[in-house]
Amino acid sequence: MTPQVRRRATAAVCGALAAGLLATATQYAHAYAGQSTQRAHAAHVLSATDTAHLRYVSSSGSLLLDEGKATGTLPGSMRVRLDLGTSFTGTFTIRASGGSIEGHGNATPHGSGTYESFSGTLTVTGGSGRYAHAHGHGNLYGTFDRNNYALVIKTTGSLSY
Amino acid sequence: MAVGALTTLLVCLYLVSAASATQSVRLDPSFTPYRLGAPVTIGLSLQIAAPPGQLPSALTEIEVRYPENLGFALSGLGKAVCSPAMLEAAGASGCPADSIMGRGNATAELRFGPQLVSERASVSIARAPDQEGHIALLLYASGPSPVNTQILSPAQLLPSSPPFGGRLNMQLPIIPSVPGAADVAIVALNVTIGPQGLTYYERAEGATLAYTPKGILLPNTCPHGGFPFAATFSFLDGSHPEARAVLPCPRRRAHRR
Repeated sequence: MTPQVRRRATAAVCGALAAGLLATATQYAHAYAGQSTQRAHAAHVLSATDTAHLRYVSSSGSLLLDEGKATGTLPGSMRVRLDLGTSFTGTFTIRASGGSIEGHGNATPHGSGTYESFSGTLTVTGGSGRYAHAHGHGNLYGTFDRNNYALVIKTTGSLSY
Repeated sequence: MAVGALTTLLVCLYLVSAASATQSVRLDPSFTPYRLGAPVTIGLSLQIAAPPGQLPSALTEIEVRYPENLGFALSGLGKAVCSPAMLEAAGASGCPADSIMGRGNATAELRFGPQLVSERASVSIARAPDQEGHIALLLYASGPSPVNTQILSPAQLLPSSPPFGGRLNMQLPIIPSVPGAADVAIVALNVTIGPQGLTYYERAEGATLAYTPKGILLPNTCPHGGFPFAATFSFLDGSHPEARAVLPCPRRRAHRR
């Protein structure tokens, strides 16, 4: 089997997924008293757990572009641009129902072998549509398949939008 | 008394200064093949020179800073790890083949009476268990004569600041020479990190298949001014000379009609 990039459908399995939604949290509304011209702004806070299975799209040097399907609290598609240097840093976009969520993260790789694991943190910085005001923090961990450059990324954290 | 102390201090400062000037260093990096966007083998040639008839001070550490955006993580190199115990027990052949990330050679000089004698050693670079979250490597050098020497040096890939993407830090042990003589002096280290000359193995459908690992991916574009490298050498005499080098951007191929 050639060591060239193989587009195997099977990505790394990274342990059991703590399935689904941890909790949907509060939903509340602010009314801007005395400012009737301003629209009431609804905020949602989600405690979310998601898993993304991403496949290789392109690379240049240490930069890797992967995309694929995300499942969990915010199902949709996910696209990540990673710089796989001495640590892993990158940006991500999740396209979910009603809009997209953007952010960045960093992680430390661990171990060797075909599947290299990593763990770190992420920050949600914005988005579009219903997630235009999205922000939040979380943790991430996952595996990187060194044969076909596929990624499995699991995220947990809180998201306000 | 104060004058005596000052004189002693000045003499010491002079000696340190003189010692610092006793060796010069040089770094020559290479990419093979040198094609943007392609997987390559990185070559590092490190040279240390002393005035004629003199030995350089013993080398204790080398730190090579390499350019940003080199795809080590995408190289497929170092899929297995080799432990120091494996190397000490059986040399590089005791390591899993998939842990070897590079090879090379080193030249050292030692003094036998009035003569300077050269010793050449083969070098293997193996992936080691991570250390404090950093990719760790082991350099194993083995030279049979005139002094049968095996050296095991820990190395790590550490973060660096732009324009460098990281630094390869290598800790080198002091190698005693014959009694009464100066320590063995390393005068050249030529290593490659990449698939050149390496064979890995993998199991597929019940068979073991040999293959050449991919290599360190170069970016699709060349940084302005070329790919910068730098190396800091630390010597036992306290000096830390630095060598810099830039690999010029490759010439664009003329398009044929």
